[in-house]
Amino acid sequence: MAIVSIPNAVATSERPAKSRRINRTRLPAALALLPTALIVLVVYIGCMLWTVRLSFTSSTLLPKLDWVGFAQYSRLFMNDRFLVSAENILIFGVLFISGCLILGFLLAVFIDQNVRAEGVFRTIFLYPYSMSFVVTGVAWQWFLNPGLGLEKLVRDMGFESFTFDWLVNQQMAIYTIVIAGLWHGAGLTMAILLAGLRGVDAELWKASRIDGIPVWRVYLSIVLPLLRPMVVTATVLLAVGVVKLYDLVVAMTLGGPGIATEVPAKFVMDHLFERNNIALGTAAATVMLITVVAILAPWVYAKYIRPQGRPA
Amino acid sequence: MTTVIPQGSRPRRLTAGRIGIYAFLITAALFFTLPLWIMIVTSLKPMDEIRLGNILAWPANLTFDAWVKAWSSACTGLECNGISVGFWNSVRILIPSVILSIAAGAINGYALSLWRVRGANLLFGILLLGAFIPYQVFLYPLVRIFSTTGIYNSLLCIIIVHVIFGLPTMTLLFRNYYTGLPIELFKAARIDGGGFWTIFFRVMLPMSTPMIVVAAILQVTGIWNDFIFGLTFAGRENLPMTVQLNNIVHSTQGERAYNVDMAATMLAALVPLVVYFVSGRWFVRGIAAGAVKG
Amino acid sequence: MSLKTRVSAYTLAVALIASTGALAQKAEVLHWWTSAGESASVKVFADQYTKAGGTWVDNAIAGGANARAAGINRIVGGNPPAMMQFNTGKQFDELVTNDLVRDVENKAKAGKWREIMPKPIVEATVRDGKFFAVPINIHGQNWLFYNTKLFKDAGVEPPKTFPELIAAGEKLKANGVIPLALGGQPNWEHNLFRAVLVGNGGADLFRKVYGSRDQKAAKSPEFKEATELFGKMRALVDPGSPGRNWNDAAALVITNKAAMHFNGDWAKGEFTAAGQTAGNEYGCTIVGKEPRIVIGGDVFVFPTTKDKDQLAAQDKLADVLLDPTTQLEFNKKKGSIPVRLDVDVSSMDVCAQKSAAVLKDPANQVEAMELLSTPNFSGAMQDAVTQFWNNPNMSADAFVEKVVAAMQSAS
Repeated sequence: MAIVSIPNAVATSERPAKSRRINRTRLPAALALLPTALIVLVVYIGCMLWTVRLSFTSSTLLPKLDWVGFAQYSRLFMNDRFLVSAENILIFGVLFISGCLILGFLLAVFIDQNVRAEGVFRTIFLYPYSMSFVVTGVAWQWFLNPGLGLEKLVRDMGFESFTFDWLVNQQMAIYTIVIAGLWHGAGLTMAILLAGLRGVDAELWKASRIDGIPVWRVYLSIVLPLLRPMVVTATVLLAVGVVKLYDLVVAMTLGGPGIATEVPAKFVMDHLFERNNIALGTAAATVMLITVVAILAPWVYAKYIRPQGRPA
Repeated sequence: MTTVIPQGSRPRRLTAGRIGIYAFLITAALFFTLPLWIMIVTSLKPMDEIRLGNILAWPANLTFDAWVKAWSSACTGLECNGISVGFWNSVRILIPSVILSIAAGAINGYALSLWRVRGANLLFGILLLGAFIPYQVFLYPLVRIFSTTGIYNSLLCIIIVHVIFGLPTMTLLFRNYYTGLPIELFKAARIDGGGFWTIFFRVMLPMSTPMIVVAAILQVTGIWNDFIFGLTFAGRENLPMTVQLNNIVHSTQGERAYNVDMAATMLAALVPLVVYFVSGRWFVRGIAAGAVKG
Repeated sequence: MSLKTRVSAYTLAVALIASTGALAQKAEVLHWWTSAGESASVKVFADQYTKAGGTWVDNAIAGGANARAAGINRIVGGNPPAMMQFNTGKQFDELVTNDLVRDVENKAKAGKWREIMPKPIVEATVRDGKFFAVPINIHGQNWLFYNTKLFKDAGVEPPKTFPELIAAGEKLKANGVIPLALGGQPNWEHNLFRAVLVGNGGADLFRKVYGSRDQKAAKSPEFKEATELFGKMRALVDPGSPGRNWNDAAALVITNKAAMHFNGDWAKGEFTAAGQTAGNEYGCTIVGKEPRIVIGGDVFVFPTTKDKDQLAAQDKLADVLLDPTTQLEFNKKKGSIPVRLDVDVSSMDVCAQKSAAVLKDPANQVEAMELLSTPNFSGAMQDAVTQFWNNPNMSADAFVEKVVAAMQSAS
């Protein structure tokens, strides 16, 4: 997979004269990448192909290698639950990523205002990321439950007509998942963006102050574009979480009320392990995979694969 | 890098704007601490009080029983030794996995960003896509692969699994980090005749501390909280703490002691929490040190 | 790297321990009984096995699906436990067809299992004329638990049929209590539906729907009637139900907030833990035109092995599991009743006694969904039921359509 010969940017100008020597010195780099190449080939590509292959079989509890064509896919696209899952992950993905970026950016900017106890705030915003959802989901579930949490508390204070029943409302339940997701992920985004803010040149602030540009404009029009790499990193990390969204849903709603908060990863998991239906589960996984590739491939290609020069 | 001072506007007097800033931060902090608060007060209440009461209220009968029970006597099957059993297993899994996955990420990131190896970008592209596949899909084929090689259900096995699934993120972070470093450093080292490994150990690695901290924080969190891989690959002798946590929390047909659940969760989260408290500052400083220049 | 050597030294040590351990009839048992009550019951087996000279190595993993996935992975990976739990039913069918679990027919013949166990349980465990698992208990899945005090306050009698139950529910509601406590998770909603279906529609309809997937049965007026009764029960449930754990639902009955709760007999553990006894603070009854009990339970399977010690350990385990005293003690703690109907249950609680008495008549034994249908079809039904339950606007006809679709597509 990793064969040495593409000219490297460092030596581009002197390529003809030095290429042979460089080839030799680049061999260790290729060797260093070899284990990863093997893992990618065997584990990532191997498992992807295996998954795709199984989606064309009638496997139930154990994999078997027969061939049923697209039967599982036609089942899948007739399946209410899968369609709801797909819609939910779209809603969640958009709201969660944009919400984390906005909230994370705001938190980072506000923390960057020379506040007291900065460390305390930072830790408070960041700690949720260190906790697993197995039980923090329960805490959220209680808080959002109309009979136990917020609604009851506000009513007990005397506001009898206060209603907050998103968790048990089919139309709104998915948004409670977004809220808990924001709680979990916004801190990480904040940390990454804060790091970016701290890297902004101090001269910029002096200059903008002298020019009398309002602070919010500087943040929006100058700083934010500078933070692009951080935003991209954060988005990638968050997007990985979106595709794999599972624990949170299981802990908070188990996909309910009804099937209102089902998500694709849960569909896959349930069919692989609970319902002894490997074929349908892998078909769903394949659809997820294709979707992810379709969305990401252009970006990955443009950013990482095509440019043969040194990436900016 | 020591110049990590806030760069924003910097009035010191208590203006309306300052009050607004604090109001926003404190409101946000309340939102973020809410679940933790619920968990803490619940863990300190006896079960009767939990059944009856207000989930936000401070316990009327403060008790630490649940914590003691969660740590040392909650039942997870026949054994009633709490989650302390898995603690050392988790540590044994954590340390080598974190070290090896960071090493792998650093080497990959270095080779990918500064050495032009044919096919490397394709390799990286696939790796990135791989990060988006739900883990569950990998379980069955990986079990088959590991059992043919004879290391299935061992400490080594679970460590390899963590390294494999840490690769995409670790590689991405280090690749971006090294790409952001001034290229002149690398050029100079090359002109001095440094080879691949020499430059890595002498030049790159010493400059990588900030990124290593970030990577370590992410990996410690991810690996410590992992449940499904530990359950599937570690073997009975090495089951991590999260498996016990899950056993306590998710009994299928039995009473759920919420106070013990909450205490167990907080105990299980202790290691990542400590890491965050201790290194939160470096976490931010870490990425600040170089990543934005790209 | 000293780390590497330490790691490999460690794996070696583990391997050594594991291999020497096998000599002392060490039997690793994989199951999902992790709660306090469940732990106490599994301890009965472990102690008896130890007494018989073996060493019980406990491997408990919470959550049936988690435990089964881990166990099946190990069986496929060639590193199986000596014994593994399943629910009575079709969960382990493919392990049998792939020769991954051994038969225990010789034990079954010697112990006359076919005579002492209820027929549905026998049929669920026998493949091609051989027992491939050891059934260990019978759980009744469609019990109604009710709060005696709240019933008395509202002046209602324990309902005998579902229309009666709905009428009683209205009275209870007027009295200011939650008529029916429901764990609002898909599987409990589905469990409630099955209780209505078997109680109001009868055992045959239940078997036709879950067993033979008879689309005519799903389109029958009886099925529709049961569906409509089920739909009416939405009005008896409080709005906080969605997402609730079943034990929190039971707790509502325990704390006099709710009057009724449908569940399997394992729910008794909740009442016992709260210091209540059957017949006093709470009662248990079967609702329906006839007292049909939906029975399921647990079995243990023995993964195939060539290791002589493991085989001997497995044989010993099979004996221990079905010993009459062990059966009684285990089931008292588990909340189920002994799988051997020849065991004297007079020392058990009144619910267990009632259960054993009703089940003496084979006509009252109805196979649970797990025995009748594949996990896949059960799951598809669950999806349909939970959609219907949570959408009051969905008509019974629309539900029937979903059920028919599930019957057609789920393999």
